[in-house]
Amino acid sequence: MKLLSSMRRQRSLLNCAPISARQLGDRPMRSAISRADNSAEFVDQQNFDRALARLVRLISIPAESAEWFSEKDLVPLSKRTWKSTVRNPAVLAISIAVVVIAGVFVFNFVSHLHDFPGSATARKLLGVAASTRPLMLDPVNAEAGTLSDLFFMKHGLEHYDVPAEFADFNTIGCRVFEDDESRRVAQIWLSEKRMQLFLFPAERDSKTGAVLQFPGWRYVHQEGWTGAVTEHSGVLFMAAIRGGEKDLAPYLATPKE
Amino acid sequence: MPERKQNLPQLYRFCFLMLGDSRKAQEVFHATLREAAVRAARGELPDEPFWLFRDARWRCLDATKSDLQPESVEIDESAVAPKAESQIQRLDPMQLAIWISAAPDPQRTALALFYLDEFDYREILDIAELKLSELSHFLAKGRTQLQAWLDSKFPDQSKA
Repeated sequence: MKLLSSMRRQRSLLNCAPISARQLGDRPMRSAISRADNSAEFVDQQNFDRALARLVRLISIPAESAEWFSEKDLVPLSKRTWKSTVRNPAVLAISIAVVVIAGVFVFNFVSHLHDFPGSATARKLLGVAASTRPLMLDPVNAEAGTLSDLFFMKHGLEHYDVPAEFADFNTIGCRVFEDDESRRVAQIWLSEKRMQLFLFPAERDSKTGAVLQFPGWRYVHQEGWTGAVTEHSGVLFMAAIRGGEKDLAPYLATPKE
Repeated sequence: MPERKQNLPQLYRFCFLMLGDSRKAQEVFHATLREAAVRAARGELPDEPFWLFRDARWRCLDATKSDLQPESVEIDESAVAPKAESQIQRLDPMQLAIWISAAPDPQRTALALFYLDEFDYREILDIAELKLSELSHFLAKGRTQLQAWLDSKFPDQSKA
């Protein structure tokens, strides 16, 4: 029954098959035509229809009637409402794409808003802080401020000085290692709130070799850790703690820049 | 799209096919456009693309209401043949228009709109207020009747 009805509909569509391809916008019609395309009957029908359409195009327009053709539009153009424009799938897809691109751009802009020379290295070192275990460090029980001499004497690291704000805290251990860019990093573990301190070379201008300086303390964040970074004599110092800026703020002598 | 829907040369040809008479076609064409101009001046143009053709169709039917109506006789029919193309080439547009205009409505409207090659079948269904099965029937019947008429008009071709 369904098959009969489908065949009848297909026959009906074929009888109304468009004369020229520009009217071929309908999927059921395209499907009916593609099934019948090679049949002699359908080819005869199409040739018949095309011949008649050509004849109709030969109907000449009288001059009096042709005068009307220059008149202004007599059929109003349908105005697109903002709703129909918004519901247009193409507009919708483009809008979503633009919003996503704008979101990524804003995210990148905001996340780099507080960048400073050395912030990328500082973030990497926060990752190191998160994965470091006390066993990995050489046990040292001293005041953090006294380790500058150790770094200079044992490792030849100049100006690896712990700032006064953290100099009085007792250490659990320390080590010197090279990061993935072969820069020597000093790491100190404090007993105070299991805080970790890092000292590493400041970034330099690639042309002049001058140290890229910045004033005061800057914060960086990575995976639940926060670091407060400052620069002195071409060396960056970072105090890292698991937590937020509020956990570090009481230790800093000068306000955040 | 709107340019195609208000194709005025096609509107005139539609009137001509519906009426089979150039003078009457012009009258209906001008009356339709005058009405359109008045409505445009008042800002009352209908908000649909086919209204000119719909309006012209009713004017054509109205114009032939008082004319002699074709008798409802059984018209010969022949299957569409490959020779039809050459037979049609020997016709002039006036002969075709007279043949179409002699058909009873709504077959007349269906044939006139279809052979304008201006609208797809859904648009024709809309303008002529027909169902797909009806349009299909009128077009199929129109083809076989026209083929029979062509065979009778050009018998030598038919024999060939």
